[in-house]
Amino acid sequence: MSMSKKTQDELDRWSKEVKRGAVTLAILALLSKKKAYGYEAVKLLDEKMSFLALEQGTVYPLLRRLEKRELLKSEWDYEDPTKPKKYYTVTEDGIAALGAMTQTWSKLSREMRDILSEVEK
Amino acid sequence: MSSNDPLKLIEQYLDRVRVYLPLDSEDAIVELQTHLIEEAQRIGGGTMTAGSAMMAIERMGDPKRVAHEYAGSGKKVGPVPAEYVSPVSRIAIILLAIAAAFMTGISLLGFAITDFAGIQNWPLSIPIMIVLNLVIIGGIIGIISLLDRDKPLTEKTTLESIFGLGVEGFRPKGRWDALGDVVMGLFWGIILMIPAVVILYTEAFASLYMLVVIYLFLGAVKGALFYIGGENNFNLAFEAILGVVWIAFAIVLVNVGWPLQYVYANEGAGWILFDLESFFITNNIPFMPFDWIWAFIMFVTVVIAVWRVIVSSMKISMYVRSGKGLWWQGNWGERRSLRTPLWKRVLGEHDQFEKSTERSDGYEDSQEQ
Repeated sequence: MSMSKKTQDELDRWSKEVKRGAVTLAILALLSKKKAYGYEAVKLLDEKMSFLALEQGTVYPLLRRLEKRELLKSEWDYEDPTKPKKYYTVTEDGIAALGAMTQTWSKLSREMRDILSEVEK
Repeated sequence: MSSNDPLKLIEQYLDRVRVYLPLDSEDAIVELQTHLIEEAQRIGGGTMTAGSAMMAIERMGDPKRVAHEYAGSGKKVGPVPAEYVSPVSRIAIILLAIAAAFMTGISLLGFAITDFAGIQNWPLSIPIMIVLNLVIIGGIIGIISLLDRDKPLTEKTTLESIFGLGVEGFRPKGRWDALGDVVMGLFWGIILMIPAVVILYTEAFASLYMLVVIYLFLGAVKGALFYIGGENNFNLAFEAILGVVWIAFAIVLVNVGWPLQYVYANEGAGWILFDLESFFITNNIPFMPFDWIWAFIMFVTVVIAVWRVIVSSMKISMYVRSGKGLWWQGNWGERRSLRTPLWKRVLGEHDQFEKSTERSDGYEDSQEQ
């Protein structure tokens, strides 16, 4: 069934809003498992979160903002001098924020699932 | 001008991005550089070629947009679009700093600014002149942008080359320049103290030359600090204070006049002291040009000192805003090169990236393949 233009526009608008909320949580969750440098984070997010369709233009500024807000910290690795890598890890504040966000997200998902299952019936 | 060297292509592209980023963004540039190299290697199946580098660059997109996204907080200021705020403000500050430096130098020599500028009908003429100049600048930028529209992503536009002057103007002191300051400060300080040189001074300069020597040694200390610590707030503050001290000291020195009473002359049997000033006066030749030369030297040194004070103050405030303290291991002005250093090439260690040749379809394969 093909979508009307109006439906497509609404979907696009809604997707954008959902992505905006999800991206911080996705980055914190991924980096809480293992540290990653910018390119690695872009590729990980691309691979694991295809819905978000994140590009470097979104990921790098977000990494910087999260670092500024002290949810992430970074460390340079100059082992390969032609490709210095800035590794990001989650701070204690970041872990706390991630925990709170995860709880809220789980509650939201559960409640949304309940509502949506009623719609699908 | 396009290149077959993938690293050169990336460097050229990042040079364009750098133009639009705030001054303290070298970390962002290095992060983007690593991203481009890894992406180009992925596209090239593990080997970076000029073609894969170009594809990685094209995927990253317009340098102006990349810088704007990366810097994040750019906002439109008056008629200046957000992407242009950083380079335009840098150029404006440089022009103002040069004007301030020259005005200070000219004031020191006793010229009135009004004599120099010859502004009439003040204050009405000033806003009219500003509006006219803005219209002319807008027109010039429009024409330049039209001429630049077909350039590849790796080639700087004419406008970016002009904006690039702003980046160069604020580049940190190079490590070798800092070492040069140490050597020259010590060298000239010692020369000025040698008794055979001291006897050449005029009476007025002889009473002050030790202050110049101390200043030169302090300049050497400044060079050593920059050599060790790179650019940080302590070194910038030290440089600014030295600049202010020199401006104050130059006001005294310019009134002292030409500092040499004698020069050495060879009279067959040996070297004698030749009284320069008496020779000019007794032969009815005005001694004035020597004082002018001295005033010009003072003028140049004051202009440089004012420039340093302005730039150092700006950088200190920039670093303080970004949460930096007094001392840290700062950067030097040399740009990070992606290529293998000369000593490694001499020893036979090669670039880890393979060069490639360009094909007619615009993409390349490695020569080795």
